[in-house]
Amino acid sequence: MSWALLSLASPLLAALLALMIRHGADRIVLGATLISLIAAVLALASINGEQPVSLNLGGWEQPLAIRLELGHLSALLMILTGTLHLLVGLYNRVSDHGTSSRSDYWPLSALMHAVLLALWLSRDLFNWFVTLELLSLAAVAMVTLSGPKAYAAALHYLMLSLMASLFYLLGIALLYGQEGVLDINQLAQQLTDTPITRLSLLLMTLGLMMKAALWPLYLWLPDAHANAPTAVSALLSSLVVKGPVFILWMILWHLAPAPFAEQLGLVLALFGGVALLAGAWSAMTTPYLKTLVAYSTVAQLGYVLIALGLSLRWQALELATALWLFIIAHALAKVSAFLAAGEMQGTYGRKELTVVKGATLTMPVAMFAFAIAGGSLIGLPPSGGFLAKWILLQPMFTSPAHWPWAFTILAGTLASAAYVFRVVSLSFDQPDITPGSLTQNLPAQWLSLLPALLVWGLALLSHPLLLWLSRGAVV
Amino acid sequence: MNFLQQAMPLLVVLSSLIPGLIIFTLREDQRALRTFLNLAGVSVQLVLVALMLLGVSRGFSFKLQLPFIPNADLILRADALSLQFVTLSSVLWLATTLYAIGYLKGSAQHSRFFGYFSLCVSTTVGLALAGNLITFLLFYELLTLTTFPLLVHRGTREALKAGKIYLAYTLTGGTLLLLGIVVLHSLAGSPEFMTNGYLQAFQDDHRLTLTLAFALLIAGLGVKAALFPLHGWLPRAMVAPAPVSALLHAVAVVKAGAFGIIRVVHDVYGISLAHTLNLMSPLLWLAAFTIIFGSVMALRQNEIKKRLAYSTVSQVSYITLGVALLGPIAAIGGLVHLVHQGLMKVTLFFCAGIFAETLHVHRIQDMNGIGRRMPLTMAAFTVGALGMMGLPPIAGFVTKWYLGMGALEMGQPWVLLILVGSGILNALYFLPLIYRGWFGLAPERWPEDTGLGGGIPGWRETHWMLLAPTLFTALASILVGVLAGTPISPLAWTHFIVNPEFGL
Repeated sequence: MSWALLSLASPLLAALLALMIRHGADRIVLGATLISLIAAVLALASINGEQPVSLNLGGWEQPLAIRLELGHLSALLMILTGTLHLLVGLYNRVSDHGTSSRSDYWPLSALMHAVLLALWLSRDLFNWFVTLELLSLAAVAMVTLSGPKAYAAALHYLMLSLMASLFYLLGIALLYGQEGVLDINQLAQQLTDTPITRLSLLLMTLGLMMKAALWPLYLWLPDAHANAPTAVSALLSSLVVKGPVFILWMILWHLAPAPFAEQLGLVLALFGGVALLAGAWSAMTTPYLKTLVAYSTVAQLGYVLIALGLSLRWQALELATALWLFIIAHALAKVSAFLAAGEMQGTYGRKELTVVKGATLTMPVAMFAFAIAGGSLIGLPPSGGFLAKWILLQPMFTSPAHWPWAFTILAGTLASAAYVFRVVSLSFDQPDITPGSLTQNLPAQWLSLLPALLVWGLALLSHPLLLWLSRGAVV
Repeated sequence: MNFLQQAMPLLVVLSSLIPGLIIFTLREDQRALRTFLNLAGVSVQLVLVALMLLGVSRGFSFKLQLPFIPNADLILRADALSLQFVTLSSVLWLATTLYAIGYLKGSAQHSRFFGYFSLCVSTTVGLALAGNLITFLLFYELLTLTTFPLLVHRGTREALKAGKIYLAYTLTGGTLLLLGIVVLHSLAGSPEFMTNGYLQAFQDDHRLTLTLAFALLIAGLGVKAALFPLHGWLPRAMVAPAPVSALLHAVAVVKAGAFGIIRVVHDVYGISLAHTLNLMSPLLWLAAFTIIFGSVMALRQNEIKKRLAYSTVSQVSYITLGVALLGPIAAIGGLVHLVHQGLMKVTLFFCAGIFAETLHVHRIQDMNGIGRRMPLTMAAFTVGALGMMGLPPIAGFVTKWYLGMGALEMGQPWVLLILVGSGILNALYFLPLIYRGWFGLAPERWPEDTGLGGGIPGWRETHWMLLAPTLFTALASILVGVLAGTPISPLAWTHFIVNPEFGL
């Protein structure tokens, strides 16, 4: 547990330091991120056996204390967060289209890192509310880093986010009024199925879905993610929307009474199916490159919603493994896709999709990164996206009544292939510019390739990963 | 020995993967290094394959197993069937690499082309060595990804359109295949392929599921095998450069589909289960129809490459036909056609590429008298075409003989009518080309004589790197037919593959 605390403290301190010492903020934050990542790996290694470790903050006993809990799932998400923050931070430093070494990106991203870690470790409703608020504020502030053109999107994001917080807070208030506790384990033990319980769960679900941009509450996402600086887009799509999903899973799985969970699960899964196709359709028709990638997030969250909804509906814990795998695989692939797309947009100097015409010749590394990240988004074997889809498909053939879900997922696969190959096939067209005429930044392009390689490399790690996730899903 | 036995299958895959990855990083002007890497890769692969052929014929097994998903490991292993396909791939890779170096001289983007070319071979070999369905699926999908860039290599509007159609077909096929595999996996896991299959235990309680899964698998594989009505991508895909068409039609893509069908019938379901569930008659009818349909469509084409493309649709279904007859002799006919059709079709596409590159002859009516300008190429073309018609002693005859005998053995004499009908149609669409080539009156000037290789009929009628592989594969098509009775022929090896499946 102490490793986890170190991992949490290090970016938090770095955020404060980077605020005070502007010169060299980038190095401070990157160093702290590295320390945090190493500590997170050690934290995973320190978990003995299958039981998670708990810590009551401030020496108070339950139910007064704020409890942190480190299990396999939390540790894996911490590692994911650290890895992606490190990669994106490095990209932001190396790329010609990143923000400057003195910009507000550094303290804000360190804050975001720390808040996310706190979110993965928290186990009570109010603590989650605090982390959600901080997360949204950091995210909105980071969207504005790309200047006045992003203000409208950021404001829109902020408004919806605040509204979402209100829903969530109202839900907590109702539940606290009824039960008098906020810790999720205690709530799970004593919660009864009353109309108040259901109403509060519904309100929290609504708020969290808005924050996570789950269909149909996603409308703020494409603008915010497409207009933010590239490094920020990558963090927003890969990590920030996953925080609320984590909380949503936790409260619904642990707190929702069984009949309610089944009804709500069906609705969520249906939303997921629509999200898969509607998101993909928007990605297929948008004229802008980064918007395409942003809509792909909407579509990919459809898989997450299906896994979440069906695991509730069928009380199938193994689907939670699929859920987390989707989250991990999507996070890695999406970072690659955004970094590659942003690097191409910056280098060619236009944001239309048509800039990638001939990109296999003019910017081969970035284009390759985009293509193989796309392969994981489609779910081609043996990428992480495939692993997740495979686990998700397994329970669907136990009874013919489940088959429509399998076909929905396959339709989603084809739809995502359509938007990925929309970009890829354009990149094989004859380029309008001569290959030598661009000033390229190769290290930045290679950095964008790295997460995509990692997501395909998950195949080698699949065994321990599945084991940890199946344990992590229990707690 | 033990370690080597594990490493061999992986090494074969890596022998083309690693050169491919290095080639991507080369500059356009590093021509010598690129050629060296290509040829070094193919040489290493040939040696490894020869060693494994020797090993397997002596009863050794080569297998590598890595943990992947619960109950579904990644397995690469060499058995008799996979080695037949691997040998075909690596021999034709050698020929096609040489041909491609000659063909692409003077055009741009070599590194991208040869990089994907090597990756394509590597995935084909991996697909051949796949030891269970999940591994097969992996390479089947990767094959789509590695062939797409080759298909659209020219970057023209037409090529990109063909590429999109190709993706639409193959990705949908891959999805159906995935679905079928998941269905079987939820029933029985994904164990290794085994003689007579691993699904007999479920034949009483899960008839419907097994039938559904079979339909999904065949639909998924049928796309690449160009079974009617899933063949639509193939004729369009001939916009690719000639070496790519040759590879696609002879080994990589269509054969991957046909090979998958063999695997599913023989080593997943098994002959007896396929009998019990009566899975084969629809497949048999479909294959028979595709044979005739492809031939009729070929007859209606004016472009040489398009005619060849439809001929592939027809010829690859011979393999499916042989498997679907469910008899040992027919199975030999089908399996050996995997090799025979590969050799003959690669020859024909090589020739079509030479005509196009040297004289810009694309259409059949322009072929008049081309045999006098390019006698060696035309001779190779003639060998391929006559072989397709099934004339002894060229390879195609052996196939038809076994298929016919097999059909009689299984009491399906109507199949003979299909074979004869297809033979006649083959004659109708190939003989005019041969006639024009040898006896037609040559035009005063060719559409555009590039003067490749010197332009003198004979050894210098075109670039030697185009001519040599073509003559090699033409010669091989004759040799495998002439030597069919000897123990070193593909036919003898096919006996070795098929006999255990039928308990012979």
